[in-house]
Amino acid sequence: MKPGALNDRKLAVEGAVVSFAPGRPAVDGADLGLTCGRITALLGPSGSGKSTLLRAIAGLERLDAGSVRFEGRIWSGDGVHLEPENRRCGVVFQDYALFPHLTALDNVAFGLRAMNRHNKREAAMARLEAVELAHRARAYPHELSGGEQQRVALARALAPGPDVMLLDEPFSGLDRRLRGDLRETTADALKASEAATLIVTHDAEEALALADSIALMSQGRIIQHGAPDALYLKPNCLAAARLLGPVEAFDAAVSGGHADTPLGAVEAEGFENRAPVQVLVRPEGVRVARADAAGALADIVSRRAAAGYAKLVCRLETGREVEARASLADPLRPGDAVRLSLDPHFASVVAG
Amino acid sequence: MAVTRPRRRFDPVWPAAFAALVCAAPLLAVAALAVFGPWTDYMAHLIATRLPAYLGHTALVTVIAAGLAALIGAPLAWLVARYAFPGRGVFEWLLALPLAMPAYAAAYAWYDLTQAFGPLGGYVPTVRGPVGAGIIFAVTLYPYVYLLAREAFAGQSADAYDAARTLGESPRGAFLRAALPLARPAIAAGLALVVMESLADYGAVVHLGAPTLSVGLIRAWAGEGAVADAARLAMILVAIAFILFALERSQRARARQSAASGKRRPPRRVRLSGMGAALAIAACAAPVLLGLIIPMARLGARALNAPLARDLMDSAQNSLFLAGVSGLVAAALGLAAAYALRSKRKRAVFAARLAGLGYAVPGSVAALGVLGLFGVLQGWLDTAWTAVFGSVFPALLTGSVLALIFAYQSRFAAAAISPAESALARVTPNLDMASRTLGAGPGETAWRVHRPLISSGALLAGLLVFVEVLKELPATMILRPFNFETLAVTAHNYASDERLGEAAAPALLIALIALPPMIWIAKRITRGEARTEVTK
Repeated sequence: MKPGALNDRKLAVEGAVVSFAPGRPAVDGADLGLTCGRITALLGPSGSGKSTLLRAIAGLERLDAGSVRFEGRIWSGDGVHLEPENRRCGVVFQDYALFPHLTALDNVAFGLRAMNRHNKREAAMARLEAVELAHRARAYPHELSGGEQQRVALARALAPGPDVMLLDEPFSGLDRRLRGDLRETTADALKASEAATLIVTHDAEEALALADSIALMSQGRIIQHGAPDALYLKPNCLAAARLLGPVEAFDAAVSGGHADTPLGAVEAEGFENRAPVQVLVRPEGVRVARADAAGALADIVSRRAAAGYAKLVCRLETGREVEARASLADPLRPGDAVRLSLDPHFASVVAG
Repeated sequence: MAVTRPRRRFDPVWPAAFAALVCAAPLLAVAALAVFGPWTDYMAHLIATRLPAYLGHTALVTVIAAGLAALIGAPLAWLVARYAFPGRGVFEWLLALPLAMPAYAAAYAWYDLTQAFGPLGGYVPTVRGPVGAGIIFAVTLYPYVYLLAREAFAGQSADAYDAARTLGESPRGAFLRAALPLARPAIAAGLALVVMESLADYGAVVHLGAPTLSVGLIRAWAGEGAVADAARLAMILVAIAFILFALERSQRARARQSAASGKRRPPRRVRLSGMGAALAIAACAAPVLLGLIIPMARLGARALNAPLARDLMDSAQNSLFLAGVSGLVAAALGLAAAYALRSKRKRAVFAARLAGLGYAVPGSVAALGVLGLFGVLQGWLDTAWTAVFGSVFPALLTGSVLALIFAYQSRFAAAAISPAESALARVTPNLDMASRTLGAGPGETAWRVHRPLISSGALLAGLLVFVEVLKELPATMILRPFNFETLAVTAHNYASDERLGEAAAPALLIALIALPPMIWIAKRITRGEARTEVTK
């Protein structure tokens, strides 16, 4: 993603490299752009270098190559390393890193400077109110629940009015239902701050629910960055596709502008004839019809109810198994014969 | 590609190396003395006569002390950790207080109470000999087992115990088969401390007529002037201590593994009432009475009916000065070693671990080593001084307060490392980073985040050493400057003259001075656990 219009306030990471041991960089030439007022999710498997990239942006790790700039000012790179305390980066750590010797209020007030005591307390209190924790102001971190700790950490990071907000797996320690509630509070607070926000996560659902855009990271690099729905529908490689959800990959060769799969042909624009490609199909893109309709013949191997749909595993005549989805009201049972075909909206062709 | 990491401003290798040197040098000096020192026929004489008795007493005393301390400490720890009864909250820390009572002071009091003409004479057997010494060590040192076992029981998830119950174990069976094995490393660590303190003791075993290796060592040095032979005896003592130390370390390594499993559900305490509660209270009160209250009362009674010891105030001042300075220095060394361990750099960690070995070195051995080292140093200074000025060099080093503090550090600085280490463990790297991203520079981070989090751990370390130095006898006897008395030395000198009345006041004073810091330490250790229970 190229830096956009100059009047937008942006953070730009270019070619960032961070190595802990020679030969195997944790971050290996990552490019990433963040825009103020927008939330970007950094999604990737564990060990892909997400947290290291976040820490490099905050100045907690030094870059071995590449640069981090904010509004054209160099933060890291070209022999420059701006210390973390001078970057105006708010960070919410995975374990929250609340100061155990300070109350919730004093934690939030920690980063407030150039104010008298009274104003500090007022400002910190306002931050706590914004995350609905004013009544817990005098509690120490160990007296707070996990969700409360998370919100104090968020309020603390937002209090100094940072230009950039970095959140490292902010919901990973919390149970599922709490996560849903907190996501909204967090997203609202972040939007209101107008900071350029990066949320590191390995949970695709969370990335899709929170972010204006998603950057996919794998083996130290950003492999794709874009709007959530565009990434889901048109991944640019198998690794990117898998990060956002289940996908079937069919190897094929292009012929006459089309790639053939056992479920039918899809358009393969921009590929040369005979070029090896992969056709990536989301389970929603596998249409299931009665045996008397058109399409590839298959048997249903198993059926499981999932959240809002029935997950089917179908075996094609070639023996290959394919995941498909059906309405929970659909009476299909294991053993039934069906016809499968492709919905091209949920299929994409990438270089094989 | 150059690997650049954020630079540390504070390099902990040097202070840790200094701590390691302080702790290891005396031991190395003793070893050198044992190997290269002149052989006299005293050693042969000793082997033929008293050495077997020294070894026998040492074995008997330590086995009895360890066995009884385990029987007192571990069940009480279970009682306090898992049951609720009136007074439980007070007993939780009260049970640790006998550590304020020096073993020799308890020995004076109990021997006095149970001897033929004492108030209990004829009713109970006289506390004397190796069995008596073992019992005295058990009732004054069991808190080591109690404190470590209590922490293990309180810290262990109730799930293991509950799982055993659902698998058909009775409460007793579940304790023996699930809870106790999990706490075994902690109990072993406590027992190692009990044994090492018993090995290092001089005053109690002399008074009760059960001379151990420590006594042999000091007699060889003081009676015969056979320093090299004393060093040889010291090496036997050190070998025993190090075997124990190694055993304890291996147990501790296992403890760490067992602690790192999954979520922990803090146990709910079983409420006792009526007879059960009364028995629990009696069980908790008994060791405190035996190890602290009765000896203090007896010493108090004797002190009131006897002339005051000469120079009692001077002795008290000297004791406070030595203990205070040693506590401060040890807290600093412990903190340096803890920073070294935190840095995870190989040389720094090695130095800190070396410093940690000091805790297996009995005081008399440390003193002997310092004596040897300073003797050599003094010799060099004398030669140089005489060559230049033609007169004799003032005796600066040997028999100086500096030598004493050096020996105390080499024995006790190790005790300051682990409290400092656990204090520093609370300062996770993320806290540093949170502070930095909130705009605080390294100095401000140290002041606003490290200092408040570390200070009470450093205080704990300092106070532990303060109490230990206050009670210390053998090293003080060997190294103290001429006419420099401490409470421990004064008490011992009167007691060995059979003037228990005069010995009582200084002995009691030690316990009285040690008591407030000990109460603070005990409360902090037991409350600290309650706090982590909430956070985990």
